[in-house]
Amino acid sequence: MSQINSVAGQDMRDMFSAATSWLEKSSADIDALNVFPVPDGDTGTNMMLTMRSTMDEAYRAPDNSAAGVAHAMARGALMGARGNSGVILSQMWRGLAQGLEDKESFTAAELAAALQLSAQIAYKGVSNPVEGTMLTVMKDAAAAAQAQVDAGNEDIISVLEATVSAAGDSVSNTPMLLKVLKDAGVVDAGGQGVYTILEGALQYLRGETELMRLRKPQIIVSDIPHVVSQPQSIAIDEVPYGYCTEFLLKGEELDPDVIKKRLLKKGESLIVVGDDSAVRIHIHTLTPGNILQFAAKLGTMHQVSVRNMDEQHQDFLEMQKERMPTTDTAVIAVAAGDGLTDVFGSLGVAAVVPGGQTMNPSTKDILQVVEATFSDKIIILPNNKNIIATANQVQSLTEKKIMVVPTKTIPQGVVALLSFDYEAEFNTNAEIMEKALSSVKTIEVTRSVRATKINGLKIKRKQPIGLLDGELIAVGDTNLDVINQLLSRLGLEKAEVITIYFGEDAEAEETEQINAGIMEKYPHLQVESIRGGQPHYSYIISIE
Amino acid sequence: MPVKIVTDSVADIPAEVIKELGISVIPVLLRFGEETYRDGIDITTDEFYEKLVNSKVKPSTSVPSMDIFARTYAKLAEETDEILVIMLSSKLSGLYNAALQSVELVEGGSRIEIIDSGCAVMAQGFVVIRAAQAALAGASLDEILEIVRRDLPRAEIRAAFDTLEYLKRGGRIGRAAALMGSMLKVNPVITLKDGVVEPAGRARSRAKAIDILYDFAAGYSHIEEMAVEGAACPEDVDNLVERLGAIFPKERIYRSRTTPVIGAHTGPGLILVAVLGDK
Repeated sequence: MSQINSVAGQDMRDMFSAATSWLEKSSADIDALNVFPVPDGDTGTNMMLTMRSTMDEAYRAPDNSAAGVAHAMARGALMGARGNSGVILSQMWRGLAQGLEDKESFTAAELAAALQLSAQIAYKGVSNPVEGTMLTVMKDAAAAAQAQVDAGNEDIISVLEATVSAAGDSVSNTPMLLKVLKDAGVVDAGGQGVYTILEGALQYLRGETELMRLRKPQIIVSDIPHVVSQPQSIAIDEVPYGYCTEFLLKGEELDPDVIKKRLLKKGESLIVVGDDSAVRIHIHTLTPGNILQFAAKLGTMHQVSVRNMDEQHQDFLEMQKERMPTTDTAVIAVAAGDGLTDVFGSLGVAAVVPGGQTMNPSTKDILQVVEATFSDKIIILPNNKNIIATANQVQSLTEKKIMVVPTKTIPQGVVALLSFDYEAEFNTNAEIMEKALSSVKTIEVTRSVRATKINGLKIKRKQPIGLLDGELIAVGDTNLDVINQLLSRLGLEKAEVITIYFGEDAEAEETEQINAGIMEKYPHLQVESIRGGQPHYSYIISIE
Repeated sequence: MPVKIVTDSVADIPAEVIKELGISVIPVLLRFGEETYRDGIDITTDEFYEKLVNSKVKPSTSVPSMDIFARTYAKLAEETDEILVIMLSSKLSGLYNAALQSVELVEGGSRIEIIDSGCAVMAQGFVVIRAAQAALAGASLDEILEIVRRDLPRAEIRAAFDTLEYLKRGGRIGRAAALMGSMLKVNPVITLKDGVVEPAGRARSRAKAIDILYDFAAGYSHIEEMAVEGAACPEDVDNLVERLGAIFPKERIYRSRTTPVIGAHTGPGLILVAVLGDK
């Protein structure tokens, strides 16, 4: 493959022009990634429009040097920046222009240095930089470029390949850094935009312009589990988002830093960038009038935009619907312990109601979650025999359609959820799920709260006891002893998968022993052990 | 002059059927680092999967240049004036677009129709095979188009994966992203709906995932075509064909190796059933 050691201004212009077309193809997909209340309802469109203005200016510029083109791009971006993401993007071009100052063309090393500067300037423009956004992606991308150069790589294509790949990894990691992304199960839209621009530039340099015409940028998918909304966090929806207010302020002797200080407490997501003759301002505020009044005293306002974000939020919710699997049925589960909550969350329940043995949720607790769930047809998995009746009450209190699949244990809840059919109707799904319950056996290990005699067993206080599908049938001196008794009672010849959920009081060493013991005795089984974090039950074991 | 049928290598039609029915196949390109191979021509399926698992470089797939399409059309135009092109789902690849745009590069008065199958593998393959059979029987292009339009919504697949990691990496995961990120080890089952990957089920073991494929086929009231394919798991394919023999004549079940082009996005453990029929 050919190697490129230097890129001239003309090429740089065409390269970012190709990148803009590439971004344009993806802008609707990027819009769909937006998460409120992270700023902007239409990041993809905003970045695309910003890039158009950026490139218009680049083609108007008479200067064909890399420095000249970069400078024109920075100016075009500032003038045409749209939305939060557009403004940050304009700062990236400003950084790039500073990095390429006086350069006729640039080498790999000069590009890497300019990208570093680009990330730095972008961070500075934001009053309160947040990680897990396009800032992080740019920083990681620039670091990768620098690392390549430091390793002696002089080929711009392969340096940019490493840059794009790092940007992609960084995008897929954004949900780890930013909880709103994780909750919504998406990657950061602005980050995706930066990645797409870099990818477009790379493809141009590789000479793949014809392919770019036929293909489309792919949205990066993160494999981080969708986290479950807890009832306490649902009420947040009430808070109004206010107005997204943005404009370009032109005047003389403007000082972006002073303006920034003055506006700092007037709202959220403040960005003030620019120079002494033109400053772009972006803020989310409940009182846009005050902001505009303040700015009018400093100079003339252009491209003024005030948008109601609550309306945008509604549009966004509608758009989210289209991205979800076509089913309109939501499942909610009752579970205790952060591990079990994550297990259910990762398998796609809409919400988890905290509760379980000795902490049965009330009908009202379940009702509250039902009402807050974004669906009118809801299947409830009580996962405990004492909660089934409570769950059955919910139907009489809500207009939503409710089905209760009478799961008595956590493993039953899991097999029910796994059998969920994305194509089936509501009632059919409840039937399918109920039918699946017979395919699993549940062992629960806990400690006796008092001395007693039951099912012919003599039990001392605090002695480990074992339940098989809810029935107390084993007692022993250790948890391991109890589990072995129960396992040998079950014919495991036909079983395939054993899953051990260890509780909050289970000891790591013992869990290890149990795990190893089962694997040794039953080598044909697929054994998996997962931290359930549940109280009371040291172990919940699922046998399928 | 019978209508000529063109498809892509992603339809997974067995080589002997392609030869017998005179179907033209556009090979998708596979790239391993700097090496480019034409699917089914420059690299065998076995070689590919071995590389997929062992090579550090991740493979990518790409649409062949429009020139390849144009030359295929031009060559067929010498033999016929009606050509039907049936391509992989346009939502999964640029093949359909390339096929469409290439028409403008061909001179002469041949009528060339391009169809977006909205599906892939043998579900697409059935539609192509039946179109080719109709063409050989003397059907006109309009008649064949009618058959194709009737068949397309009746062709469906279920595919069991060991992991969705490859699909995610290739950016083609679609709505099946809902199946990702499970904390438990699950074997996901997917389908294609309106050209996009959709979730169709989950199982806790590979055997149970294959049961889902069987149950899917067994749920049909009337089956006209059936195929079983695997990426690099011939034994699983054999076993499933044996089992499916109970509901459909075994000798009529097409067995195919899934093209590396799909395999690159699914991983070697892929096994799938395609059915054309009525539920």
